[in-house]
Amino acid sequence: MPMDKKTKTIALCGKGGVGKTSVAALMMKILARRKDLKILAIDADPAVGLCTALGVEVKKTVDDIRNDLIRSIQKGEHQDKAATLNMLDYELFDTLTERGNVCLLAIGRPESEGCFCKVNSLLKDIIQDLAKNFDVVLIDGEAGVEQINRRVMKTVDHLVVVSDTSAKGVNVAKTIKHLAEDNKAVNYQSMGMILNRVRDGSEVQNIQNNAPMDVLGWLMEDELIREFDFHGKSFVDFPDTAPACRTVEGILGALRL
Amino acid sequence: MELFERAIGDIRVYMEKRRGIASVQKAGGLFWPKSEGRNVVLAEDTAVELGNPRQESVSCLIWTQQAQNVTDGKMTLIGPDIRRSEGQSLPFGKVVLVGVSGFNEENAYERYKEMEAVRYSLDLKGYMIRAVSQYQREWSRISKDAVKDGFSFEMMAASLRREYLKKDYVHAVEFLFVTSSGEDVRELRDITKNVGRTINALDKMLKEIDPDCDECEYNDVCSEVGELKGMRRSRKEKNSNAHG
Repeated sequence: MPMDKKTKTIALCGKGGVGKTSVAALMMKILARRKDLKILAIDADPAVGLCTALGVEVKKTVDDIRNDLIRSIQKGEHQDKAATLNMLDYELFDTLTERGNVCLLAIGRPESEGCFCKVNSLLKDIIQDLAKNFDVVLIDGEAGVEQINRRVMKTVDHLVVVSDTSAKGVNVAKTIKHLAEDNKAVNYQSMGMILNRVRDGSEVQNIQNNAPMDVLGWLMEDELIREFDFHGKSFVDFPDTAPACRTVEGILGALRL
Repeated sequence: MELFERAIGDIRVYMEKRRGIASVQKAGGLFWPKSEGRNVVLAEDTAVELGNPRQESVSCLIWTQQAQNVTDGKMTLIGPDIRRSEGQSLPFGKVVLVGVSGFNEENAYERYKEMEAVRYSLDLKGYMIRAVSQYQREWSRISKDAVKDGFSFEMMAASLRREYLKKDYVHAVEFLFVTSSGEDVRELRDITKNVGRTINALDKMLKEIDPDCDECEYNDVCSEVGELKGMRRSRKEKNSNAHG
């Protein structure tokens, strides 16, 4: 697998409940085997599903840092920009959970009301700076693509939309494409789709004929994934030889990872 | 202007009480390569960690215009050096004492910020630093490769000193590193706890046109530090003259 020194960023998005997080967790499992790579996983889902799927207990999130900073601004405490950036960088690094060559960062749920664009923008800058130190960054996003831009980073290499085979899922994919392409919700170099919970080849054929973007690959309806999800088992322990693992490995290969 | 006379005196007493290994470096003698653009050292690649957020940590930069108060190139280490601490996460204390000239109330804060920025831009291969001046904390990791290649506190001090001396108002740089115990670091933290507040008070005084000293969070520091007291008085006089 060829790999240059530039950071490669993959952002996963798609309709809620289509299995984005399971796909992201499988991607992480496969990427983590590459000991020559440093990998940053960003869990941008407020429910911190990716962390749970990887068996990581979240103690602190980016929104905890954000809320602390907002509280200190509201109290009128002195804020020097350079010192604030260094403080955020320190806190952000302390928020990472490290597992070998993989680091996990949970974004969490914003709780403060009101507009704190400046704080969000500082945090986004710090996340982007941190991301440059990794070979691969994988973002498990919320349903919409605009949250990735607003809360994580404005540019990614691969925008990957996960969908099941339902018309609703595919329609959301179309909307995401429109937002990304026409509304410039996020900058990206390539966009593709992963179909999840496929029952048979005809479903894939049907969707491929009308798909809003390239289909990078598809995962069949998988009892083992269901079992891992149902029991809350860590996908780190998902068997390497399982068909889903091999499919995701192929998709990562297609993304040159 | 002298803001840290008391802190410097207390630090000297602290150092005398402990048997630190002191060395005076030969100017420009030690070099360490720069990193290749990436400065994150993950836990699995770390040989020694200093001042982790779960450990005691204190770090501050103090300046003086009294040349006799700084021995240029001197580094005092209280506790084990990096190569003797492989596999450990140590508490960490660090004081950088800088001999300067030409500091006055108008330029001191800006120059402090310039000096403070030096540690963030050091960018040494296998050495990662995260530091917060507001908390007076510094957290760093030294990679296994860097330790194998001989990275030490002396190397860190030499690299920092070289960068500080690039500023035309810096003439001498001395270092104190403490890795001996959490207790020793805590004591150093107590001694230096007002350093950051003194600097913040200086900044606040410069920024606020008519500060209300009775309500100010730094009132105690301004009352204690002679220079700040004088500065406060002269600012108030200037202010009342301006308002007739």
